[in-house]
Amino acid sequence: MSSLSLSRLNWPRGVVVTLTAIAIFLPLALVFYQSVLSGPFFMPNKVFTLGSYAFIFDDPDFRGAFLNSFMLASGLALIAVPLGAMLAFLMVRTDLPGRNYIAPLLLVPIFVSPMVMGFGYVVSMGPVGVYTMWAEQIVGGRPWNIYSFASIVIIAGLTHVPHVYLYASSALKSLGSDVEEAARVASASPLRVMLDVSLPMIMPALAYAGVLVFFLGFEVFGLVLVLGDPEGHLVLATYLYKLTNKLGTPSYHLMAAVAVCLVCVTMPLVMLQRWLLKSSNKYVSIKGKGSRQKALPLGKWKWIAFAFIALFLIFTIIVPLSGIALRSFVHNWGVGVNLMDALTVQAFRDIMEQPSLMRGIVNTVLIGVIGGAIAVACYTAIALAGHRKADGITRFLDYSVLVPRAVPGLLAGLSFLWVFLFVPAVLQALLQKSDSSVALWLVDNLIPQLRALRSTIFSVWLAYSVVWMAYGLRLISTALLQVGPELEEAARAVGANRGQVTRDVTLPLVRYGLLGAWLMMFLIFEREYSTGVYLLSPGTEVIGALLVSMWAAGAVDLVAALSFINITLVAIGLGIALRFGVKLHD
Amino acid sequence: MFIKKSLVAALGALGTTLALQAAAQVPAGYSADYAKIVEGAKKEGKVIVYAATDTKAAEPLIKDFSAMYPGVKVEYNDMNSTEIYNRFISEVAAGGATGDVLWSSAMDLQIKLVADGYGMTYKSEEARALPEWAIMNNSAYGTTFEPAVIVYNKRLVPPEDVPTTHAEFTKLMLTKGEKYKDKITTYDIEKSGVGFMFITQDLTNQPAGFWEMAKALGSVGVRVQSSTGTMLERISSGENLIGYNVLGSYALVRAKKDANIGVQILKDYTMVMSRVVFISKTAKNPNASKLWLDYLLSKRGQTIIANDSKLYAIRADVTGETTSADLSRQIGAGLRPLPVNVSQLAYLDQTKRLAFLKQWKEAAGKK
Amino acid sequence: MLELSVNDLYLDYGVGASANQILKGVSMDLQRGEVVALLGPSGSGKTTLLRAVAGLESAKAGTIQIGQKTVFDGSKKLEVPAEERNLGLVFQSYALWPHKTVFDNVCYGLKLRKMNSGDIAKRVNDVLGQLGLGQLGERFPHQLSGGQQQRVAIARALVYNPPVILLDEPLSNLDAKLREEARAFLRELIVRLGLSALMVTHDQSEAMAISDRILLLNNGVIEQQGTPQSMYETPDTLFTAEFMGSNNRLPAKVSGRDGTAVSLLVEGASMQGTARGSNVSDQTTAMIRVEEVRISDTPAPNGIRLPLVTSMYLGDRWECLFGSGSAEGMKLRAYAGSRLNAGEYWLELPKEKLWVF
Repeated sequence: MSSLSLSRLNWPRGVVVTLTAIAIFLPLALVFYQSVLSGPFFMPNKVFTLGSYAFIFDDPDFRGAFLNSFMLASGLALIAVPLGAMLAFLMVRTDLPGRNYIAPLLLVPIFVSPMVMGFGYVVSMGPVGVYTMWAEQIVGGRPWNIYSFASIVIIAGLTHVPHVYLYASSALKSLGSDVEEAARVASASPLRVMLDVSLPMIMPALAYAGVLVFFLGFEVFGLVLVLGDPEGHLVLATYLYKLTNKLGTPSYHLMAAVAVCLVCVTMPLVMLQRWLLKSSNKYVSIKGKGSRQKALPLGKWKWIAFAFIALFLIFTIIVPLSGIALRSFVHNWGVGVNLMDALTVQAFRDIMEQPSLMRGIVNTVLIGVIGGAIAVACYTAIALAGHRKADGITRFLDYSVLVPRAVPGLLAGLSFLWVFLFVPAVLQALLQKSDSSVALWLVDNLIPQLRALRSTIFSVWLAYSVVWMAYGLRLISTALLQVGPELEEAARAVGANRGQVTRDVTLPLVRYGLLGAWLMMFLIFEREYSTGVYLLSPGTEVIGALLVSMWAAGAVDLVAALSFINITLVAIGLGIALRFGVKLHD
Repeated sequence: MFIKKSLVAALGALGTTLALQAAAQVPAGYSADYAKIVEGAKKEGKVIVYAATDTKAAEPLIKDFSAMYPGVKVEYNDMNSTEIYNRFISEVAAGGATGDVLWSSAMDLQIKLVADGYGMTYKSEEARALPEWAIMNNSAYGTTFEPAVIVYNKRLVPPEDVPTTHAEFTKLMLTKGEKYKDKITTYDIEKSGVGFMFITQDLTNQPAGFWEMAKALGSVGVRVQSSTGTMLERISSGENLIGYNVLGSYALVRAKKDANIGVQILKDYTMVMSRVVFISKTAKNPNASKLWLDYLLSKRGQTIIANDSKLYAIRADVTGETTSADLSRQIGAGLRPLPVNVSQLAYLDQTKRLAFLKQWKEAAGKK
Repeated sequence: MLELSVNDLYLDYGVGASANQILKGVSMDLQRGEVVALLGPSGSGKTTLLRAVAGLESAKAGTIQIGQKTVFDGSKKLEVPAEERNLGLVFQSYALWPHKTVFDNVCYGLKLRKMNSGDIAKRVNDVLGQLGLGQLGERFPHQLSGGQQQRVAIARALVYNPPVILLDEPLSNLDAKLREEARAFLRELIVRLGLSALMVTHDQSEAMAISDRILLLNNGVIEQQGTPQSMYETPDTLFTAEFMGSNNRLPAKVSGRDGTAVSLLVEGASMQGTARGSNVSDQTTAMIRVEEVRISDTPAPNGIRLPLVTSMYLGDRWECLFGSGSAEGMKLRAYAGSRLNAGEYWLELPKEKLWVF
């Protein structure tokens, strides 16, 4: 029954959806508009033209970068999805000893900046890397090439495993054990149970995660910047970076055209996701009675499992992090350098002298903790707007939230700057045309406030939250889906209206999911940089900004030392959070 | 009586100190009107700087400036040169708050902004101490003296291989191509503004031998990179052996701490670039901006640049760790500064630039 | 007084061409103090009807009235949301909120009605006491047994004295022994408190035991409604007859008809039966309740001779299966008080109980 009287219109939902739509589409609209102009949109002498598209389609670099991005994204998804799923199975469904300690380790790649990760790989496994030289002594001859496209794809895949892991583990949590027990009784080994029963049953979640990481694959930047340069492998994000310099003055129209192409790639992906999600509704589980879950005993398979996990941890975490750690403790490294002689803590001393270091750390933690919490609150509101209402508005939201992630960080940051700059300017121009006193009052009071917003941390927070919306939102809506609809219906039956149902039943039941989402947003905001780069100002600098600035000045040892400190801090924070009951699994 | 006398003396001393302080605000040798500018700056209270020099290098300057002018706060925004340009023109177009002073290593972008009318004309008090090529229209000023050098791995490159002229470099690549295959590195000029500037100036400085050098680079499979830091890392570790056109300020600083890194200044000619500073025409804090500009170019500021920021003071009369005086002696007749004038804008013309890039990529073997 | 009235209700799942018609014009009434059971196989629409009354499903057309208030009117596009209908609903899975204690689960409805906490505590403890849950107020649902959880769900639905209480398969989650006790308990409770209840079940014995009136739904329409006794003893259609008890089915050919008396040929044998329902065609199905078949050693009127195939001991009696041995042959089940020896028996099918539809 869709036509209800006006008083029944769900205005909180309307407000949430409208605000979300504005936050998503305003920057995007600017990008689209920019792509069909001949110059910056705020310059006077510009014309409408499709020249930018012509340029990039003509540019062999663009075609090559697009193809590479496509291959990278596919390879990345093909690697990350099976690995993430299998690791989730081991952590969530089996009785693997020590899995509570291993699980947080698996998430480490999320909170290390990709550029630093790439660099860690260079130090440890590059042509003159530490491990490479050891291996050369054993094997003789070059054992691997970390700059080949295949290596880049593998590393990118490994570092995106945690994303798949998160979705897969939350889906696996909700399976009853009976399906697995049935397989065991039919004499299936744990491996077969995993391959034939558990993983196929979470196929929708895996498919969703697959599309998401495919999507993230198009966005990969820092890793390719470090590892792709030597052999000249270009992907769309580094092509975009090239465009900033290629024509001398930054060419926004070209960058916008590339971004528009990327957004167009997302449309079919989002449709694919929705189509995949249709079948996921059969997997609702918490119904008013807790379903029994018994861990699958591994028996002698646990050694194989350990080996598998060890291999993953070695290649994904230990290798690059040891590279970073090493670099922060030595003067120099490489051919002919005796590492023992080169040990030093000078880099750390230099870091401590960095003027804005303390402020940067505090800002980063604040934006991670508080900004993350507020972002989770907003995402929850948006998730609730689409919760159990399968109508056009929900469809609209579904399509929209993934789109901001399509625009690479470089351009996203710029477009947010433009929004914060030009919306007040345009509003002011419009208001000044009218002579009413209301307009004048607004010009005097509202416009300066709007303009001032730009230099506050709010603008940075908004940019981060919009860009990562799809990611955080999905975590929360997965948690929401696990609440059986009957629990909410029961509340309605005793007389609770929509708001009361949400407050008294739905939200308390998903509190672990919300805490987990908060933790994830903290990790992501903590390492983000490029999206907010144009909105930062003295006093709001973050660690990411410091890292990039030091990198540009060639102080790689300082970068390594700061990353080392950063990783340690986050690891400690993560440990504390887990200790105090923020659970990654319920 | 005694007490009264000492009181008077104390007051007198106090008064003199204060007067001296007030007088000390205006640096020695400046015109008397400068006091007005100082007053105005104190009223403004701050200067907003957009700069591509990292905070660590700029911090000593900021501290010293604040000591010199206590009432004027420096709001220092550290971002890369592209970000400076993007942010500045967007903010000016929107009429929003923006930087007062822009200080960037992208000489062409800075000059373009001034040529497009964004710069304020202000004849700095220190202008006379700067070389002629470092000033444009009394708006844009060069502040540093950073050469393009050859960087090599001391352990792995024998001294006889280290080239001292551009011709020797080309010859090295052609004769010892096997040894240096995949081990020569330079900037990816499509990604790095500084790299592009140096290469195009190379063409001007050795019209005859440039394309031969480019082809030689192609023949050894030159590895191009996007930043100085990664280049220096890879040379230090031995992954690459020789770096061409590397920004000398960073290289020389690194060479002091890193025994692997050797720096060679080429004798036939060496290009020198300078970080350009200008004041925005629409600066909200014009007086404070002038103070900062003058400070950067003053002997006091330049001495800090030489010793603490290690960016090579441009003023010839400065002595210290990193100075143009020293470098000029080393470089000698081959000094080729990149002039702060509109000749830098030649390659901002899209057609010309793309044509050059195409030719370069073909010669250097880059797809 | 009419507590609940449903008129000509239509309900579809989905829209447009792929719409699935669930309810095709259902009407029913509920008087005060009455217990009505919605009975039917899965897919008959009984749960959907209950949820539509509760406001959890949206119907397409028709009206629903609770007391004097119309809560749904398809023609006026009027639909009162579930939270304003003031009904009590007991879910099949109980749907107790796992994060609230028993006390909080039950008092939630009163809190929403802005009762003060003193009154709430008194009322809740009263209800818990009435249901035998007095000591369990501070427990959480997962700490309770199935039976206790069910009673909490009932308490929660009753505590604010709704005019009608709706129950969705209240006994299906309990094991067999508990079900019998709960059956009695539920009936006694409803009668004692004078409740008006609408109950959904797929188990006919449950429906007959608890309710005053049964509505049998088949494929979205009401097949027959009436008291348990009338439904059981005088079914109007084959469907009703088959649903309400344990039956034997006999393929038969009508050889003659005289009012309600019908002559049949059952496997060649001539028998007399009673016609029920309005449409009796030539090739028809005759059926007789298992307990009406009389086993005899001696030839019996209206009887069939069959050998004993097997006997199943049920505790209070034996269920005996008679048949010709082959898979297609006729099979008859009958009850016996004691064990039967192997051999052939005469099975008498009294003609008033041999129904022909």
